Amino acid sequence: MTARPLAFVTRRRVLQLGLGAGALALLGGGGLLWLRGAAPAIHDLKCLSPQQFRTLAAMARTHIPAGGPFAIGADEAELARAFDRYLADEPPGHVRDVKRALHLVEFGPILFDRRLTTFSHLPPADQRQHWLAWGQSDLLLRRQVWWGFAKFFGLVFYDRPEVWPHIGYPGPSLERLPA
Amino acid sequence: MTTLTDCSLTAVPSQIDCDICIVGSGFGGATAARILAVAGRDVVVLEEGGDFTGKSLTQRDAAMYDQLYVQRGGATTQDMGISLLAGRVLGGGGVINACDVVPAEDAIWRMWQKRFGLEEFSPEAMAPFARQALADLGARPIREEQINRNNAILRQGAAALGWRGEVMQHNRADHCKGLGTCLVGCPLDAKQNARITLIPKAIGAGARVLCRARAVRIEAGNSEQKRVQCRSLDRRGYHEQQAFEVRAKIVILAANPLGTVPLLLRSGLGNGHVGRSLSLQPQVPILALFEQPVDAFHGIPQSYAVTQFATCDEARGHGGFRIEGIMGTPGIVGSLVPQAGVAGKELMTQLRNIAASLLLLPDESVGRIALGGAGQAVVRYDLTAEWRQRARQAIRTAARAYFAAGAKTVVLPTVPPKMWTCEADLRQVDALSLAPATLPLLSAHQQGGVRMAASEKDGAADPTGRVFGTRDVYVMDSSGFPTTASSHTMAPILAVAHRQAARLAGRSKN
Ligand SMILES: Cc1cc2nc3c(=O)[nH]c(=O)nc-3n(C[C@H](O)[C@H](O)[C@H](O)COP(=O)(O)OP(=O)(O)OC[C@H]3O[C@@H](n4cnc5c(N)ncnc54)[C@H](O)[C@@H]3O)c2cc1C
Ligand code: SF4
Repeated sequence: MTARPLAFVTRRRVLQLGLGAGALALLGGGGLLWLRGAAPAIHDLKCLSPQQFRTLAAMARTHIPAGGPFAIGADEAELARAFDRYLADEPPGHVRDVKRALHLVEFGPILFDRRLTTFSHLPPADQRQHWLAWGQSDLLLRRQVWWGFAKFFGLVFYDRPEVWPHIGYPGPSLERLPA
Repeated sequence: MTTLTDCSLTAVPSQIDCDICIVGSGFGGATAARILAVAGRDVVVLEEGGDFTGKSLTQRDAAMYDQLYVQRGGATTQDMGISLLAGRVLGGGGVINACDVVPAEDAIWRMWQKRFGLEEFSPEAMAPFARQALADLGARPIREEQINRNNAILRQGAAALGWRGEVMQHNRADHCKGLGTCLVGCPLDAKQNARITLIPKAIGAGARVLCRARAVRIEAGNSEQKRVQCRSLDRRGYHEQQAFEVRAKIVILAANPLGTVPLLLRSGLGNGHVGRSLSLQPQVPILALFEQPVDAFHGIPQSYAVTQFATCDEARGHGGFRIEGIMGTPGIVGSLVPQAGVAGKELMTQLRNIAASLLLLPDESVGRIALGGAGQAVVRYDLTAEWRQRARQAIRTAARAYFAAGAKTVVLPTVPPKMWTCEADLRQVDALSLAPATLPLLSAHQQGGVRMAASEKDGAADPTGRVFGTRDVYVMDSSGFPTTASSHTMAPILAVAHRQAARLAGRSKN
């Protein structure tokens, strides 16, 4: 029982990191929440709300997009679903922290880029820029959020058999042992 | 209950009585269980992980991280700067470790004698226990033909630069087929870990072993009869189920510092040193891209280390750094590659051409484990300026070795990754801040937290491992180590557990 990947997003820390009173009011549920808009209903979510799921899915898609050297991306590998399932068995404190992290990312463009829109609504190219800025940020909190999600996405995506042919991994070696 | 009970599948009696209750079934706990059971003691072992052997070890990263590692593989320091890798499975860390056997050097035993007053830890006194440890492990050299291309490349680079290195000893049986998935368990049960060797022997001698059984608190730690409050867990180990109590005269904690320390703190046992003096031995991953396939996921993952820059002396203990070839399966690699977008996918398509190693840097015991609001461990650890400087030197050195072996690019996993194509690029290393969460540092060798010392003033446990301020509550894992014992912990853990358990076994029953 040690700090879990995203067990750090407390209101106190947000304050300590100097995001300011406006950001806090926003995170407290006031002001600009309407910008997030309604998210389509998603069935069988275990832990996240449709809005949280939408942020997560956008983040996963930005991290591992479809296309490029091979077609499959986060959506096809259902990374956001996998994360929602994973979270359902996590301790309540961790679930709360992850939800706060998703909230921060969703409102990241307002908090950090002074744009009047939220992460899920950015065009893909802007999402890429914005997500990269989390990983490279001078703010520890933003780097923590980046790594917390990036490690999960990388682990689960590249563990998928449908991805292996594209990266040259021949699959579990036991199955290939001569009898 | 005479053998091994999976508490997720069976109702547990509300009270279990025994002489000795051992928490944790890794090398420390299993060694103590075997020695004490053979000595005729009535032993109960509690292990919160599940029982995984043979084909239940599926070689799949996500599922195995979830089931075999502490916190489903997600444990980190509080600042998220260092991933804390440790086993949570019957047999403990040995089920998922890299099998390198590196005994403690005599200089370390002497240092512990001199600096911490552990008089009986002289090299001469420890030698028989260290020998027993190697025998339990079935330690043997890795054969030349077992060195995979990933490790051979590192050796080639080191040789070209005239640097010293070593092919390690390991604890794999002869039927190891080089499947390459040691870090997520061996489906051939070739790793001679506690689950395969010591636990069956302990059970054979009468020990009762309970898995999916979590110790949550020790009550009456200062009385003759202690009560260990426990919970059974569900089949996946996620949720607590039934409460039960184990009553014992002696309690031995061998739950790794990440388990032992919070248990003591939750129980209000021990002095102000409990939780302090934690060493994490952080490791830095580094990758290199080659023209030709390396196929680093084939064969024994870790077999060769550059030792030229490692130091060890009686005054300062371990210093410098080692460069150790290693590779995991694709999920592990993917989780450490900090490249988002199409570029990240492109990097991963070169998986077959990636060589990798970990830079292992001994540290001062500057970490601390405290309790969080939900009774969980909170690990605080600040890298020292000296460590960072040494890490920069290690990064530069490893990159040089890869270039000498013919790498076209050396990759340091910062966000986005640094891609160096020639030695001149290594000037950038000086500018690396190594601030938390800029590089995915790893710790697989947690030590300390219940430091042994002759006096209560200097540590949390006496030289027998008894926690100060308790009656017969002992630590027999790396928690008791006053400083880092070796570049790799399992052999010293076994040696110290042998010593401490033999002492207890020699004591009269009452
Ligand atoms: C990925 C990895 C690679 C490594 N490679 C090497 C290597 O090559 N060579 C080497 O020498 N060392 C290596 N190590 C380190 C080594 O494996 C460990 O230091 C060693 O196995 C620890 O043994 P232990 O008995 O002290 O504790 P562990 O093996 O960690 O066992 C502690 C057990 O206690 C259980 N536990 C914790 N809390 C509770 C509780 N409250 N109730 C019940 N049970 C509890 C845990 O589930 C765990 O199974 C590696 C470690 C890792 C993680
Ligand atoms: S290399 Fe493969 S066969 Fe050998 S011990 Fe590791 S997992 Fe088992």
